[in-house]
Amino acid sequence: MTQTTTRSVWILLSQRLFLALVFIAIWALAASRMPAFILPGPSKVWSAMQALFATPTFLHDIGMTLYRVAMGFALATIVGTPLGLALGANRTLANFFEPLLSVINTVSSAIWAVFAIIWFGISNATTIFVVFMTAMPLILTNVWQGSKNVDKQHIDLARSFRMSRTQILRKIYLPTILPYFFSGARLAFGFGWRVSLVAETLGSSDGIGYRLRQAADLVQTDQVFAWTLTLVLLMLALEGGLLKPMERRLFRWKPI
Amino acid sequence: MSAQPDIVLAGNAARSAAPIVLQATQLNKFYGSLQALRDVSFDVRRGEVVALLGASGCGKSTLLNIVAGLDSFDQGDLDIEGQPAAQFKQWHKLAYMFQEDRLLPWRTVRDNVEFGLEAQSLSRHERHERAEQALHTVGLAEFAQSWPHQLSGGMRSRVALARSLVVQPSILLMDEPFSKLDPHTRSQMHQELLRIQAGSGATILFVTHDVEEAVVLADRIVLLEPRPGRVKQIVDVPLARPRLPTDPDTAELTRQLRLKVTP
Repeated sequence: MTQTTTRSVWILLSQRLFLALVFIAIWALAASRMPAFILPGPSKVWSAMQALFATPTFLHDIGMTLYRVAMGFALATIVGTPLGLALGANRTLANFFEPLLSVINTVSSAIWAVFAIIWFGISNATTIFVVFMTAMPLILTNVWQGSKNVDKQHIDLARSFRMSRTQILRKIYLPTILPYFFSGARLAFGFGWRVSLVAETLGSSDGIGYRLRQAADLVQTDQVFAWTLTLVLLMLALEGGLLKPMERRLFRWKPI
Repeated sequence: MSAQPDIVLAGNAARSAAPIVLQATQLNKFYGSLQALRDVSFDVRRGEVVALLGASGCGKSTLLNIVAGLDSFDQGDLDIEGQPAAQFKQWHKLAYMFQEDRLLPWRTVRDNVEFGLEAQSLSRHERHERAEQALHTVGLAEFAQSWPHQLSGGMRSRVALARSLVVQPSILLMDEPFSKLDPHTRSQMHQELLRIQAGSGATILFVTHDVEEAVVLADRIVLLEPRPGRVKQIVDVPLARPRLPTDPDTAELTRQLRLKVTP
């Protein structure tokens, strides 16, 4: 059993490595036929990345972007979860507010970014607002869906043990909603992360988005690539180091 | 019909001296203009096993829900442990076992059993201990850390039973608790239940549409008829235990009762 698992891990690892090598080879080939300001080669981007890591503002920029995404996301959770629960618990309320949700969902993040600049100017609030407006409807919708899926039988079970409303909320509603919340939160985090960059290119004076625009304005294409790669690595680390283990831990009760 | 009359009479005499723990008098229940129950009266004495038997639509589940305090009634009286149901406070002495096992999939077996205790103020340690003990009673001690989806239907049913027993109920109400199990597992659960009941002396009131199940388990059968739900007859089951469905007396009583159950 463990032997086959180790084997499959090795096969997977070598497949991934091979894919990366193919990608870098095609990239290098394409770059060799184009000017560096349009498509810089892997080696050029690598040295740009090393220079980037050495700049004094590097950690500050990443930290600021992370902080804004996290703030927007946290606010979206704090607002979206109770609202989703309320809509799930009350059909009249849900019918009344449903159109509003569709409207919010159709407004592009770029439009929120423009509004945010008008309202908040160049500040942290701009990016946080855009992340919030993108993530909140996603979390709300998922929590709402989840609370509609709460099993009436489980509620009756809790009632038969004379549990209070708060206990039913904590012991039946929350565990049922958690998988829905989690998939909503993942989506929201991914979207929030992307729109935060858009917002930062428009309305901030630091952060990854701001540096990206700066590099683009100065036609430092290798810098743009270096930031992009850094972002990809950061996302992979977050996914593999935080989200995946969390998911495994939270949903270990699910049949495989 | 009465193979061992002496034993039976002795048993009945002892039982009739026990105090009445559940008494329904002239219960009426309406859903809008539809009458679900009409003048239903019966009582259950301490330590008795009583079946509410009837075809679907005779309001037997409604009746059980009323006794459990999960549903209301419109006219009549319901006394639990000598108190009117409205004034009865010790609901934790009453356990309710549903038709489905209703295990929470995100909790381990032991945590599912502990769920029964979480409305009471007990220390975590005490909850653990009582859950382990209840699991031991139903023979699932070594599955405490399993997830519900890893268990068979019979084992899940045992966990649900343990969850009801963990509150150490003096009255156990059951709504067709084993109807989803295969016949073999079901008769196993019957024996298990009677063994546990003999040990704890709990009073059991259960609902079934299965005549054989009623005859095998019950000391007394409240036979209900439908539209509106009302008591047709209350039948004593004066048979010695253990009863097997294949015993001539058990089979004969089952046959007679089957003729009386209005389809």
